[in-house]
Order: sequence, then C-alpha cells, then structure tokens
Amino acid sequence: MFFPLMKTPDLEGFLDLIYEAPNNWENRIRKTIYMHLIWSENSHWRTRLVAVMKKGDIFRLNTKVLDSNIIQNNLVLAYPSLSHLPEKISTLPTEKTWFAEVPAWRNTSGFYNSFAQVSYQADVEPLPSKASLMTFHPFIQFSEIENRLVVLNATKSPELTETKIQIYNSSEMKLIAEEKVVTNSLTTIYLDKYEFQPTDLPIFYCPKMAGIPFGLGISKDSKMLSMEHTHPPASLVLHGDRRAIQGKIKKNWISKMEPGAHE
Amino acid sequence: MNRKTFAKFSRKIKFGMNIPFKVFKKPKFSDAVTSDLFPIRNDENWSTEFELLNLPGLIQGNITKNHQTVFIFFNEKGLIIGQEIIEISGTGRKTINIKDLLSGDLKDAKTFAVFHKQDSSAVDLGESFMAERGYTGYKFNNITTKGYVHGNLDAVSYSKNSIEKLGNFGFQRKIYRVQHLLTGPAEYDFIFTNPTNCKKIKIRPNLESNGKKIKLKPISIASLGCDSFTVTIEPNEIAQISFKSHLYLGRPVVFRKTDNSFDVFHG
Repeated sequence: MFFPLMKTPDLEGFLDLIYEAPNNWENRIRKTIYMHLIWSENSHWRTRLVAVMKKGDIFRLNTKVLDSNIIQNNLVLAYPSLSHLPEKISTLPTEKTWFAEVPAWRNTSGFYNSFAQVSYQADVEPLPSKASLMTFHPFIQFSEIENRLVVLNATKSPELTETKIQIYNSSEMKLIAEEKVVTNSLTTIYLDKYEFQPTDLPIFYCPKMAGIPFGLGISKDSKMLSMEHTHPPASLVLHGDRRAIQGKIKKNWISKMEPGAHE
Repeated sequence: MNRKTFAKFSRKIKFGMNIPFKVFKKPKFSDAVTSDLFPIRNDENWSTEFELLNLPGLIQGNITKNHQTVFIFFNEKGLIIGQEIIEISGTGRKTINIKDLLSGDLKDAKTFAVFHKQDSSAVDLGESFMAERGYTGYKFNNITTKGYVHGNLDAVSYSKNSIEKLGNFGFQRKIYRVQHLLTGPAEYDFIFTNPTNCKKIKIRPNLESNGKKIKLKPISIASLGCDSFTVTIEPNEIAQISFKSHLYLGRPVVFRKTDNSFDVFHG
C-alpha cells in the first residue's frame, strides 16, 4: 500500500498520513514503522527514509520542501516499512504494512496554492504493467476555470515509459487527440483546448497503460480548486463478474473507435 | 501452517467475528438497479448538481438513444417525499441542478437516489446490477467552481416500484476513523446517511485536538435518513476525528470550508 505525493504545474502537492488504522478491528499494528519516500529513476526505484513513526503519530509533507530531483516525475510514493529499505530497489516492496479493507487504509493527498486546497482519500496499489485505461469524464466545468486531466500511474517495475492516451467525445467517437502519458509519474493534460461542451462526455483511452485519472479544476482567480477521480467501467455495475462486464464495455467502445486509432 | 496461510486464516476469523455479512447486501431481485443516497445541500449558501450519465448506453457503447431515470427524494427522516422522471436524450452528460427540482413537497429533501431504467436490449449483466455511484457537484456562496465527490455507499436498490436498503449493521459498535487531518482555520461538515434497515443508528463522534478529547453530541439517523456534524478548527489547530456506530461502514461525505473556497471528499 502506497500513498501518493503529487505535483502539477502552478500547484504544490501535499500528503497527510495518520498512523491509526481506519477501523478498530482489522489491522491493530503497533510496531514502529519507517516511512520512506520512493520515486523512479527509470533503471531503479530510489528510496529515502523520511520519518520513524510510532502508533498515533502523524506525518505531513509537501512538494515545496522536496528536492526537485525527487519530484521530477511529479509523483513520489510514501511507503510505511517495518525495516529500512536499501537506497536503490528494483521493484516496489510488496509487504502491506498498513492494510485494511473496510474501509481501505488511506491518507489525504491533494494540491494547494496560497488560497485553497483540494484533496482525495488516497491509496495506490501498483498497477499491472500490461493493462489499459478507459474512463468517462464528467468533470469539465465552464465558468472561469481551467480544466485538466491528471493521470497517476505506478507499477512494480521502475521504468519511465512514454505512451499515448487518446481523447474521444462519446457521442461521435472520432479521435480528437492523443497526448503523452508516462508510467510511474503523474501526467498533466490540459483539456480546455479541446472545447468540450456541457453535454459532452469525453472518453479517455490508453491502450498500453493503466492509471488513476482525475479531473482537476483551477478557478481563473486561483481561489478555488476542484478534484475528483473517475472510475473504471467496472464501477457501472455491482456484484457478479464485474471484470467480464468491464471487458465487454471496453470492447463495445473500442469497436466504435476509428480503425487503427485504438491499436 | 506457514505465515501467509496463518495471516489469511486470521483475517477470515476477524471478518467472521466483526462483519459476518457483506458490507452491502446483494439486491433480492435480479432486475434491480442500485444507487447511493446522495446528500443535498440546498440553502442560501449551497446548491447541489448531479452529473447524469446514460449508464445503459455507456455499458452498450452507444449513448445516442434516449434514456429514462427516476430520481427519488428522501427527507431527513428517510421518508420518500417525491420523485422526478428525468430523461437524458442522446447526449453524453446532463447536469441536473437539484435546486430546480426542490419546490413544493420536495423542498425538505435531504438526499436523493438515482435509478436507471433497465433497457431490455442492453448488454447481459449476468449476476451484476447496474449501479449509480456517480458524481455530485456542490457550489458554495458565490464561488462558480464546483467541488465534486463520487458516491461512497451502495445504499439502496429499486425494483418493482419498491426500495430495498442494502447497508448492513451489526451488534458490535465499530470505529470509523476519517483518514484526514482536520486543519484550521476551517469549518468541517460530516454528512451521514443510514442505508440500513435499522430504525435508528446512533453515531458518536470522537474529536481529538492537541491530545485533548472534545465531546460532541451524538446524532441518531433514521433508516434512509440523513444528518450531520459540524466542527470548527481554529488557525494552527490540527485535529483528528472518528465515529463509533453499529454501521459496518459509517463513512461520511466531508466538506472543508474556508473563507473563499471549499473541498469535498468522501471520508
């Protein structure tokens, strides 16, 4: 279980962590933990011990105080470990030190400027390296605001691999544009140039990379920030074989994309 | 028994003792559709919008057909006080201004659920149920930017003109800790719903600030009802909050308000 510290242009990122389980019955860990920051240097993951925490402690960090090389991919993962990690590791650690399911053990991660902050309850499980991303995006706003899509990707292996995310309007399914996204990074994509209308529902599709997509809105006067993540298509249903239904939904939409565009 | 097997076994025992049933029940009827109970903020300071999407169309990969939904409104005591049929006509997204619907009997609405009409030509969902867990947008004062939050409880299902409550609760009280540091200066609202059959669920807050426990009055929420806590955090103050209740998952929607902005997220 990892907790993200993210950066996007013009905003700083923050993360707040509490060493208290989200419920009183699932994970009653009391051991001292070593909070590490982990970031990709392409050929390996780099780690740094930033805090030794006892139960009840809190940990707060923002991107303003970090060296620029640590946050160069706009994403750093915080990881509570039961031991010191080596300075360089080849894959992300797999031991789930802080782990709960009802609800998931999360933290608060978000962005801020001098006027406002915005956050979500965050936890990151490494994504499969061979997977795709498809999501429907209803967060574009239309009054004195800058709309962005930010995509978080973290995989077990550290490679920073560039690929493309495709942008469609669900009503036409013509390929509007392709934008660059990078693994083990937070990628920011500016959406206003695509001139979506209030009744449009954009679809973002990345055939070669999974990710957590967020809608980020910044009011033109910078005084209000807005952020929420969208879900994968499986979230349109409950119970049963959600994975199979997600496969069908993706297949249905991919079959409508321009030939060759979805390769 | 190796370490991994023991950990798995011990988890199963813990779950069996603490939440012997699913957190949210499976609907009784195979044609049911499910929804969260979305909190409404509607007063001189707040307004609420809902991003209505054509869910059957999104499942089928074709949103050009017209699609009907039923919005059902509940008051703070969980009673149904009205409904509206809303159609989305061949577009990807329809932003519903909830305020526009809240006249007459609906003026006391505190939550709403959105149920999508099943389309017989839709993709076979097998044993799955179509679920509205969508996106509510809130506006505060004269700030034109909305704060969005997605549904966080699979609260109710709808079939054969009746509502089934899907939330579960248990004999033992459980603590739900909001995994957020309350930082000032700000005012926080924690909005709870009761998606269970239990006639009244009592929620006891535990606020800790600078090592001190601060007593807050508990609230009791009727089945399908809605209520909230408000907590003021002073400049430079950092606090934590948890809630004790019989709910398996007593998760609130959290609003953090400051002078000129706000943030909203599920706890």
